[in-house]
Amino acid sequence: MSKPAMQLVNLKKTIGNKPIIKGLDFEIRAGEVFGFLGPNGAGKTTTIRMMVGLIDITEGDVLIEGKSIKTDFKGAIQHVGAIVENPEMYPFLSGWKNLKQYARMVEGVTDERIKEVVSLVGLEKAIHEKAGRYSLGMRQRLGIAQALLHGPSILILDEPTNGLDPSGIREIRKYIRNLAEKENVAVIVSSHLLTEIELMCDRIGVIKNGELIAIEEVKTAENKEGLKEVYIEVEPMETAKAYLDTHLDNEIGVGGKELSMSVKREEIPHILKSLMEQGISIYGVRVLQATLEDKFFDLIGENTIE
Amino acid sequence: MSNFMNLIWNEQIKLYAKKGTWVMFAVLLALALGGGLITKFFGTESDFKEYGDDWQTELQAENEELTAEMENDEFAGFVNEMVIAENNYHLENNIKPLPYDGWEYVLENSFLTSVISLFTIIVAAGIISNEFKWDTIKLLLIRPISRSKILLSKYVSVLIFAFTLLVFLLASSWIVGAILFGLNGLNPMVVQDMMPGYVQNDVLGEIVKSYGFGLVTLVMMATFAFMISAIFRSSGMAIGLAIFLMMAGNAIVAFLSQYEWSKYILFANTNLKQYMNGMEPPIPGMSLTFSIIVLAVYFVIFMAAAWAAFTKRDVAGN
Ligand SMILES: Nc1ncnc2c1ncn2[C@@H]1O[C@H](COP(=O)(O)OP(=O)(O)OP(=O)(O)O)[C@@H](O)[C@H]1O
Ligand SMILES: [Mg+2]
Repeated sequence: MSKPAMQLVNLKKTIGNKPIIKGLDFEIRAGEVFGFLGPNGAGKTTTIRMMVGLIDITEGDVLIEGKSIKTDFKGAIQHVGAIVENPEMYPFLSGWKNLKQYARMVEGVTDERIKEVVSLVGLEKAIHEKAGRYSLGMRQRLGIAQALLHGPSILILDEPTNGLDPSGIREIRKYIRNLAEKENVAVIVSSHLLTEIELMCDRIGVIKNGELIAIEEVKTAENKEGLKEVYIEVEPMETAKAYLDTHLDNEIGVGGKELSMSVKREEIPHILKSLMEQGISIYGVRVLQATLEDKFFDLIGENTIE
Repeated sequence: MSNFMNLIWNEQIKLYAKKGTWVMFAVLLALALGGGLITKFFGTESDFKEYGDDWQTELQAENEELTAEMENDEFAGFVNEMVIAENNYHLENNIKPLPYDGWEYVLENSFLTSVISLFTIIVAAGIISNEFKWDTIKLLLIRPISRSKILLSKYVSVLIFAFTLLVFLLASSWIVGAILFGLNGLNPMVVQDMMPGYVQNDVLGEIVKSYGFGLVTLVMMATFAFMISAIFRSSGMAIGLAIFLMMAGNAIVAFLSQYEWSKYILFANTNLKQYMNGMEPPIPGMSLTFSIIVLAVYFVIFMAAAWAAFTKRDVAGN
């Protein structure tokens, strides 16, 4: 296994007397997309602020490419690009001039590189407009561009899909996957919505009330049970149910105009084919892919913000 | 080092991208122009008078005329007495009076350094707190640059801005003055009322001195506003406090001057002019060296407080 790009060591944060982060221990590997999932107020942003040195670490440490953010801030942070909460830009400067500000703060970011990043996030058209006129989605893109400028090996994105439309989310997702797979970047993406990040993450860490309560490999989580909840809208209902009852071991449920059953993925075409052969009309098929989501809700229970 | 220059460059870009900054320059220009026009059209006639070779006789005639006028008109008294005293100084020291000129206008405008102080305070108060207001601070502080360096670049940027305003004021006053009043050579002598008595000096030296004294207050108050901005992360508070103290400073000192310790108050020491020309210090026990030490101590405290607040504290959401 490759050495971790980032390592959290018993990371704690206390504000006033209130423990906010209560000892996080995990690592993020190069080339993986790590989902940092938790309900509102779980401590995602607080953890990210510690990762990038915006707030003091009460106890423990964050090691970035082996360097402590506490004792070697410059050595550690130079590998990181980040968005922390909403990426706010200078509203009176154009998108381009905003990026120039950050380009000047590190060595070796050429105008060519800035253009490259701008086209990556699809902001060419608006880049010379004032950032104050940008929509939330455009600001989010500019924020991502800003984080990528210096070619970091670790990318931290706090709720990057916030404010993006579905096609924007899809683009970002594709781009994040690309960064991880092609350029071996370690990406940390926080979110409170599982559905938004499960498609782009390799692993998901679930945080609640400042504690890590689970880490899951996304693919194994999907496959572990192997069963999918399938809903089929049929007519006539009784004939179909009777047929399936006799030919399938699974229990068949009835809800509205739909029959429901838990089956393996590869069984689905077979079931449909045999129903049609029985002269039964099929109006629709739905497959619920909720295994991870169920798990998430099981884990965090009710979203009580403390 | 190039890194540090880049930081300053960044700050200047942010500063000049805002309209308010340009308004400051426009106001200074308007003041320089307006002051010039007022002096030109409403100034004392005798100031502009060109004297011939026989200037001594002319001055004596003028004095007699003024004395006569005083006897008829009691309200003419104060101004006329001053003109007479000045004329006498010229006569006694055998200095031919020169007409009012652009250099003298530049010198008179040194009082506008207080306007520059005001503008610099506004900029100093905003340069840190605005980053918090815009929430851009978090993107600024996650670069491989220490917070100390960022803080220093901001402070130096404030000083550069003040210096730019100063050069702009000098240049616009000089141009306005030269156009409206002409110039008596490259570095003419000027006679100034030093209360008591008149003194003759070369004008460039006087310009350097009087603007220089103005800069002491400017730097101290800008540094103060900068500190408040770093500690409270609010520009309104920094501007309000710094301007209030700048305005009320002298009154505070006067009010407390009965106490021994009042000489340690910042504002008792910002006016270094009080030690020139052998004047008595306002509070016994003060001297130029004393004031410079007090100012230095305040400066170090302001900077240390700003540094501690900026480098040590959490940058968390509000
Ligand atoms: N400066 C602060 N002072 C006191 N409490 C704070 C401070 N900052 C954060 N908290 C508390 O820490 C907890 C975690 O906040 P955080 O912003 O990290 O949550 P989050 O997981 O990012 O939530 P969200 O999904 O809403 O962004 C919250 O309960 C919050 O009230
Ligand atoms: Mg958050």
